[in-house]
Amino acid sequence: MTETATAAAGQVSDEELLARFPGQPVDHDSAAHYRGRLAHRLLINRCGDCGTWHQPPRPVCPACWSSNVVATEVAGTGTVHLAIFLHQGPPAPGVDYATPHPVVTVDLDEQPGLRFTSTVVDADRERVRVGDRVALEWIDRGGAPLPVFRVVEAAGSAGGESA
Amino acid sequence: MSAARNPMRDRNPLRDRVAFAGAATTGFVPRNSGRSMLSLTAQASIDVLRQCGLTAADVDGVCGSLVPAPTMQSALGIPEVSWFANPAMPFGNQVAAAVSAVHSGLCDVVLAYHTAYRLPWNTMSSLKDPFRRSSGTAGVSPAPESLFGSVGYTAWASRYIHEFGVPKEHFGYVAINDRANAAANPAAAMRTPITMDDYLGARMIRWPLSLLDMDVPVDGADAFVITTAERAADLPLPAVLVDAVALGATAHNEEEQTDSLRHHGQHVTVNALRARSSFWLDDVDVFFPYDGFTIITLNWFENAGWCKPGEAGSFLEQHRDPATGKILIDGRIPVNPHGGALSEGGTQGSGHVREAVHQLQGLAGERQVPDAKRALLTLGGFFFNAQGLTLRRAD
Repeated sequence: MTETATAAAGQVSDEELLARFPGQPVDHDSAAHYRGRLAHRLLINRCGDCGTWHQPPRPVCPACWSSNVVATEVAGTGTVHLAIFLHQGPPAPGVDYATPHPVVTVDLDEQPGLRFTSTVVDADRERVRVGDRVALEWIDRGGAPLPVFRVVEAAGSAGGESA
Repeated sequence: MSAARNPMRDRNPLRDRVAFAGAATTGFVPRNSGRSMLSLTAQASIDVLRQCGLTAADVDGVCGSLVPAPTMQSALGIPEVSWFANPAMPFGNQVAAAVSAVHSGLCDVVLAYHTAYRLPWNTMSSLKDPFRRSSGTAGVSPAPESLFGSVGYTAWASRYIHEFGVPKEHFGYVAINDRANAAANPAAAMRTPITMDDYLGARMIRWPLSLLDMDVPVDGADAFVITTAERAADLPLPAVLVDAVALGATAHNEEEQTDSLRHHGQHVTVNALRARSSFWLDDVDVFFPYDGFTIITLNWFENAGWCKPGEAGSFLEQHRDPATGKILIDGRIPVNPHGGALSEGGTQGSGHVREAVHQLQGLAGERQVPDAKRALLTLGGFFFNAQGLTLRRAD
């Protein structure tokens, strides 16, 4: 991501931002996160005073009540905490429920219990498990960037979280 | 924030001061009924008021779920109310609000109701009914990767299986018990018994949960009269006293952020309810753990203290009749005798409350638990919706 592209994503108007993410919970408190998506940056709210991360985006820090919360880029690495496979669900571009469609909630490395939910690319049902180590990737969904995960180390392998 | 226990939490001035005077239902059907929410709810409401010997003019409080209280007041011609509310589901919220309003003197006689209605959030086939399509309830679908609502329970079921290594049969004991019990409930939507093979072979919806792990979308309504213990004692049906009420949630109450299977809304609810209630497991005659999803029920068994975390399935295995599939704790305590959300129908808890009231009134027909005096209800799920209620028969 170049500096120029990042700045351009920041200039997207509120109206345009809503149009790029139809049906998503885009509002005053989450707009920075979605602007980050347009620039392929996964932004999670972090307190500018005490440093605590929180998710989903809130207008104040739940730990110290500071309103100095800053949407801050995370590495996108973490460990699968919850893992399910949808055999049916809401229609979405590129989503095939016959596969079925994996959904994982990932414990991000930045802070224990700080979690982000998305799908996993290039992994079938047998290859996505609680405890897997994952890394961030970006795909296109309906013309908007979607942060997704890729398994980089299976649960139970060397260095992975033990069950 | 501090997790210090509130020393005043066992303060419970409402104990035995508020009562259910009656409960009624339309019964539930697993299809679009061709009726409005208001039609179903009005029927149950008129039924319970008549059973209690009350007229519209006796009601001065209205508390419900999807149908706005002012709409219900207008439909039933209730002349004047001094209190009304529409808390969020599940139904423990309506009970907590109505009981508090009566105890605090905001009103004396509350009509409380819940409508179970097939809507897009629980069944897309609801949209085959053009009037439902046009009712403004269709909404916008979330992204597939949202854990909001029912998906969240499936996700935590995956964690439960990961942490405890239990077989899927453990979830099946919950579904089979409900279906076996529903056979004796004329109001239930699903009354044909199921076997473990049926359960294990059910269509997968969201792995690891399948169709028979999820409650049944239904049309129907339950209605209740909640009033002072004194007033209830003067009405025709046996009064059921409210012993204690608790709602519970933790700071991380979003589905994906919830701390763990060892700290969520159920744990707060149980701690608060135990502190306030006058009885607990040893003195319970009938148990109503919520069962919108089988995983919720397993967790309630563990968190209420019947067994340890991860052991609910083994506990149920030891306390069930393999021939009938019915659970009878210690050979004595039935579990969701009406068939629960999985078989009577997805009532968001109102069916559990109605059956508890009927059991304690001695009006549960062929499902009657002999000499039922005390009921424990643990309603709702893990996140922002865990609720508890202890009820007892008036002496």
